[in-house]
Amino acid sequence: MKRVVSLLCLNYAASVYAAGGEGSRPRGVGPEFAKFYKDAVTFSCITNPSVNIPIGRVNDDYCDCPDGSDEPGTSACAHVSPLSPHTPVDQSHARHNISLALPGFYCKNKGHVPTYVPFTSVNDGICDYELCCDGSEEWDHVGGVKCEDRCQQIGKEFRKLDEARQKSLGNAGRKRKELVAEAGRLRKEVEDRLMTLGTEIEGSELKVKQLEGELAEVERREKGKVVRSAVQKVGKMGALVGLAKQRTQELRETLERVRQERDSSRSRLEELESVLSTFKEEYNPNFNDEGGPEPDAAHDRDLNAITQSDKENGIDWEEYEGEEDSDTDVLYAFENYLPVSLRGWVDQKLRDLRVTLIDSGILADTGSSSGESKAVADAQQRLNSARNDLDNSRKSLTEHKEGLDKDFGPDDIFRALKGQCISTDSGEYTYEFCFMDKTTQKPKKGGGHTNMGNFVRVERMTVDEDLPPNGKGLGTCERIAMKHENGQHCWNGPNRATTVILGCAEEGEIWKIMEEEKCVYRMEVGTPAVCEALGQAVPKKADGRDEL
Amino acid sequence: MQRLSISWTAFLLLCLTLCSLLTPAVSVKHENFKTCSQSGFCKRNRAYADTAAAQASTWTSPYALQSNSIKFSQGLLTGVVTKQVGDETIRLPLTVSFYENGVARVTIDEEQRQKKDIELRHGSKARKERYNEAEKWAIVGGTTLSSGAATKNGEKKGETRVVYGPAGAFEAVIKHEPFGVEFLREGVVEVVFNGKGMMNVEHWRAKVDKPVVEKKEGETEEEQKARESAVVEGEDEGTWWEESFGGNTDSKPRGPESIALDISFPGYSHVYGLAEHAGPLSLRETRGDSNSEDKTKYSEPYRMYNSDVFEYEMDSPMTLYGSIPFLQAKKRDSTVGVFWLNAAETWVDITKTKSFVKQAVDKVLQNPVSLGVTGSMTTDTHWISESGLLDVFVMLGPTPQDVISTYSELTGYTQLPQMFSIAYHQCRWNYVTDEDVRDVDRKFDKFKIPYDVIWLDIEYTEGKKYFTWDPMTFPDPLGMQEQLDEHERKLVAIIDPHIKNEGNYPIVEELKSKDLAVHNKDDNIYEGWCWPGSSYWIDCFNPKARDWWVGLFKYDRFKGSAKNTWLWNDMNEPSVFNGPETTMPKDNLYAGGWEHRDVHNLNGLTLINATYDALLSRDKEEASAGGVRPFVLTRSFFAGSQRMGAMWTGDNQASWPHLEASVPMILSMGISGFPFAGADVGGFFGNPSKELLTRWYQAGAFYPFFRGHAHIDTRRREPYLAGEPYTGIITQALRLRYSLLPSWYTAFHEAHTTGAPIVRPNYYVHPSDDKGFGMDDQFYVGSTGLLVKPVVKEGQEGQDIYLADKEKYFDYFDFWTYEGPGTVSVAAPLETIPVLMQGGNVFARRERPRRSSGLMRWDPYTLVVVIGNSGDAEGTLYVDDGEGFDYQQGAYIHRKFSFKSSTGTLMSEDLAPEGSATSKKAKDYLRSMEKVRVEKIVIVNAPEAWKGKTEVEVGTEYLASKSGLTRKVGMEWHGREEGKAAWAVVRDPAVAIGKGWKIDFA
Repeated sequence: MKRVVSLLCLNYAASVYAAGGEGSRPRGVGPEFAKFYKDAVTFSCITNPSVNIPIGRVNDDYCDCPDGSDEPGTSACAHVSPLSPHTPVDQSHARHNISLALPGFYCKNKGHVPTYVPFTSVNDGICDYELCCDGSEEWDHVGGVKCEDRCQQIGKEFRKLDEARQKSLGNAGRKRKELVAEAGRLRKEVEDRLMTLGTEIEGSELKVKQLEGELAEVERREKGKVVRSAVQKVGKMGALVGLAKQRTQELRETLERVRQERDSSRSRLEELESVLSTFKEEYNPNFNDEGGPEPDAAHDRDLNAITQSDKENGIDWEEYEGEEDSDTDVLYAFENYLPVSLRGWVDQKLRDLRVTLIDSGILADTGSSSGESKAVADAQQRLNSARNDLDNSRKSLTEHKEGLDKDFGPDDIFRALKGQCISTDSGEYTYEFCFMDKTTQKPKKGGGHTNMGNFVRVERMTVDEDLPPNGKGLGTCERIAMKHENGQHCWNGPNRATTVILGCAEEGEIWKIMEEEKCVYRMEVGTPAVCEALGQAVPKKADGRDEL
Repeated sequence: MQRLSISWTAFLLLCLTLCSLLTPAVSVKHENFKTCSQSGFCKRNRAYADTAAAQASTWTSPYALQSNSIKFSQGLLTGVVTKQVGDETIRLPLTVSFYENGVARVTIDEEQRQKKDIELRHGSKARKERYNEAEKWAIVGGTTLSSGAATKNGEKKGETRVVYGPAGAFEAVIKHEPFGVEFLREGVVEVVFNGKGMMNVEHWRAKVDKPVVEKKEGETEEEQKARESAVVEGEDEGTWWEESFGGNTDSKPRGPESIALDISFPGYSHVYGLAEHAGPLSLRETRGDSNSEDKTKYSEPYRMYNSDVFEYEMDSPMTLYGSIPFLQAKKRDSTVGVFWLNAAETWVDITKTKSFVKQAVDKVLQNPVSLGVTGSMTTDTHWISESGLLDVFVMLGPTPQDVISTYSELTGYTQLPQMFSIAYHQCRWNYVTDEDVRDVDRKFDKFKIPYDVIWLDIEYTEGKKYFTWDPMTFPDPLGMQEQLDEHERKLVAIIDPHIKNEGNYPIVEELKSKDLAVHNKDDNIYEGWCWPGSSYWIDCFNPKARDWWVGLFKYDRFKGSAKNTWLWNDMNEPSVFNGPETTMPKDNLYAGGWEHRDVHNLNGLTLINATYDALLSRDKEEASAGGVRPFVLTRSFFAGSQRMGAMWTGDNQASWPHLEASVPMILSMGISGFPFAGADVGGFFGNPSKELLTRWYQAGAFYPFFRGHAHIDTRRREPYLAGEPYTGIITQALRLRYSLLPSWYTAFHEAHTTGAPIVRPNYYVHPSDDKGFGMDDQFYVGSTGLLVKPVVKEGQEGQDIYLADKEKYFDYFDFWTYEGPGTVSVAAPLETIPVLMQGGNVFARRERPRRSSGLMRWDPYTLVVVIGNSGDAEGTLYVDDGEGFDYQQGAYIHRKFSFKSSTGTLMSEDLAPEGSATSKKAKDYLRSMEKVRVEKIVIVNAPEAWKGKTEVEVGTEYLASKSGLTRKVGMEWHGREEGKAAWAVVRDPAVAIGKGWKIDFA
């Protein structure tokens, strides 16, 4: 199925290959339609055979057939199309069937590839060498136009290009093979890793079980041996509080830093806004936007509250530091002294800490002031460490499994390209596309990079593009596309997004970048990764030759 | 072309959608633009008018023509009007000119200013005279004084009568005291000046500390007191010496200097014109109460002060981008016009009264038979301008075409445009790279959609510096234009009048060093803010600046421009982001010392005039070969701008009401002598729904100027992006436009030679049918008889079309037959444009779809003969090379096709005057067209008698001259079926389009 679709990606969609003898076909008739024009007396319109006209009316530059088949060599029936306005005069014979029976004017293009030229281009005074290199579509020389036959030259150039293209495609096919192999290798690595992880996990589980046993044993041995721990300069509560204080201080500093950064960003924003508001005030019509988002005042208040010194915040650390006796009660009430916004977080952390402390014997349960023995603590620690290892391994396993299940495109091919980047210059920017990652716009003059979207998924989409002679284009077919979303927000617009559409090429390269809509980009990218059919076809052809 | 946030757009669209039918959507920034009461001179004159009206019976205008000063000779009457202010007598020189073409012109100046006998305040360097050069820009012909005009014997004392006009049918009665003029046609008063006593010429006076209310001549103390209280606002000196608005203060160095005049049209119910406004074609009354429920009357006068109005609102007298102070009044069987030649800010109040006025009585007495004809409605207009001369032209018709053609003779006929420019234009703010342009160009071909022109908005420049290309995004403009040229397509690039104030920019350096920019009130270079930021403005009133501008367009100066580069002059109101009302301060100074206030409305015209000249002379080789007609699009305009190019209705919105408003706006341009007009298809701001976009293309296919355009923040909307069925339907509309280009071009030629509108409202085509006088949602295309009523409402699938005449009409697409007069219902599902063919017409089309209009040049023609009730049909075709000036040397084909039922023949006759094709160019052209033939003749409503007929006889002048032989060609006849007309088609008569021939159906 995929194969069929890919084969539709014809490089020269209009190409026609000569079939049957030349004979004396009327002007503009392709060999496959020659049979309709054989009668020497009458002509029956191809899709309306009930309409018969004298053969002399074929190519007399007047449209007689509702399907236009009597004018294969002129533009007289060019209006036979659902795209043209019609009146009863055009539709008298077939009201509901207004389409051409012929694909166009047949251009022999001797020395090159024959093609059909749209009837709308016949005798319009323009030499359409791109399609009709022999110039035969301008046979009437309207306005004195003379289109010389350029097929020798064009054909030669074409063949040269085509050869290069085929060669390049062959290379691309080989490269794709390499990529597939690489992807397979990477996949194998993951699979291997998964295997290893499985084993590791089993081992860890065993270890955990073993350590649990050990801990139980140590505890049993230590039971009754519990003594009150030596009086420390600072009580456990004191240490805990010290810890909490330190952490809170760290948080505060971080917050302060973040706020400074934010403020400096904001002041830059304000500076920019003031430029805009100059416009706005001096000429409202043109800059009606209210500028950037209003600073979140409530949020700001919270930040202020947190960064106030603790006394102002109602926390008197000394109270706790000196205190030794009513430790855990204070701990429970501790979060009450924090600003609401921080309270939840601190509360949660303290609870976790306390539970951990209790579990690990550092803190006695239910108000008991006794501590665990070192032996118990050590055992506990070993167990925890083992459990940690187990958790990590499991997490890693999940990640690798997910990575294995992720869509890396056909043949898993993008696995081989993940994280690889290609870039190109266009205008004042350099654009970069990193496989399975993101697209980026970088100003050449320096300044910040703009994220144009993060990879979200691989899709298939139908494209309909012209293919330049060098083959660096998408053509007409279904293509693989990579969607990138949620890039940097656009002033007056959406978050940037990029669709990267992939075409077959020998080397990874960005062919074209367009801003289809405001901040919605489209990249056409060549890569050997999508040379599926061709990549397979070329070596096969070679194989076939070998067999001969 | 302006910025707008997405959220605003969305909000506005929502508003428009929800409220459009109930109330006008409020979107424009009203606070940025003055109301009459915020504009001192408007407020003063409205107050003056209120006083006059309040004392109607006792009010006496203080203006008198001094009988002993009157001189009349060779169609020119001169004299002095005096204005009595207390003891002071102000002398106002009067000229009344009578022109050969039947136009009368009344001009009033002020002697003291004329003699420069005044003192300017603030040491201003402004000119002391009233601005007297508007004529230099606006008037190009039709001012030959009439030697036949003569004073009438036996005139009453206190008045002077001058008989003039065709066959002496017109008469001007100049009343001496109070001064006033009545214009009569065949004895009937049609136009009255100062009949209400609102004439006002604010004379120069030195500033004194305490203003006193002057006692008027013949006024009692009580009257003066009464007036004092009534006009206390009007005489408030607060607006005499300086005025502030929006943070800007106008220093008004010449003090108050407004002029005003009431012009009445007795018996006239409708007035049209005063373009450009977004409102109905038939102008509304303007003295309504803003709080009233009655929305048929505005509370503000129509304003003309060319402005960059952002998000303009529907149904409003607010000013827009251009001004044509030309107004037509219509009653059954009569149309008259007045042209108020003044380039300063101008306001016009309109009121209508139903009373049976004196003039109507006069008419009834003189011609009792006309009792039923005379309407009882009288329309009064009150014209107010801030400065300049009082200078009014009067045209007495009697047909709309008479009025428009004399107006066009004065201000110039519309340019005969190049063929490409009446085809389809694809624009967007912005196609961002040259590759983008090439891509769009290829896509049109790929989807088989014809187009002729692709446009570049401001982003193509390097940093908004005109005459440059952004080297990053447009590295290869010439290569890009070569690709366009392969299919005879063109590029239109924008160049605005603001020049970026930045170092190392040769253009601005020259502008400064040569002193070619507009000056501020202190006579230094004026700096303002526009797209590039700090900018200067070229002063095109300065001949040196114009010469310089002309030089800038040479290919070696404007590098990257090519033969197929044409121009778009935007922002030429001028738009100044930080100026009062988004334009320049009124006390800015132009070359010759004229203040901005004097010339504001002419500013846009002067720029495109210079650009037009530049394009004419940029290419020596081309010029020596006869030259190519320039194409320039302008946003701002004045009377006369039609000579240089096309206009569009500015920055509209992607909303149904804006689509709907585009039709009356374009019709209004058509009857204002500037018919090459269009609206942005799809709507500039916002994203149109696919249905709206499709309907807009269908309407746009019938705009004289047909361009799709979109704002930078909108999604792309090139026709091929819409998807099916929309893309197919839009392509059909575009191909319909292309197939009818021969008829459109013929209509443009008619406009170019007669001033006739290209799209024509009902009142113009049927001047005797008063039911159609208020109609502005349907129109005829040129003289083709094609009657179009675009669908402009969402979800609407049918259209009621009004047929004014007792004639058959046929659906363009299925020949369904309708019979007028009356309103008929036409089905109009999305894929259908309501277009009818009026019986009695012949029009031409070219049916072969091509990639651009240039590639249709050698295609054969199809003639469509639409037989009506009389059995006859007639039409014309004008053809030339579609780009050069050779047509002026006879290189054209102009044919009349007439079908006569009596003889059963269709004839092609030459309309070109004999001997017009003797030049080499003419002969070469005609030779080149010899092979271009008529390939098909379609006869709609073909006679039943032709049933069974299979051949017709073709005789040609070239065959006949040889041997007198005729030949037979095939014909097919199809009978009537289910309400559709019978039709016949002549198969390939193969007659040359440029030759004489006859086809015999009998």
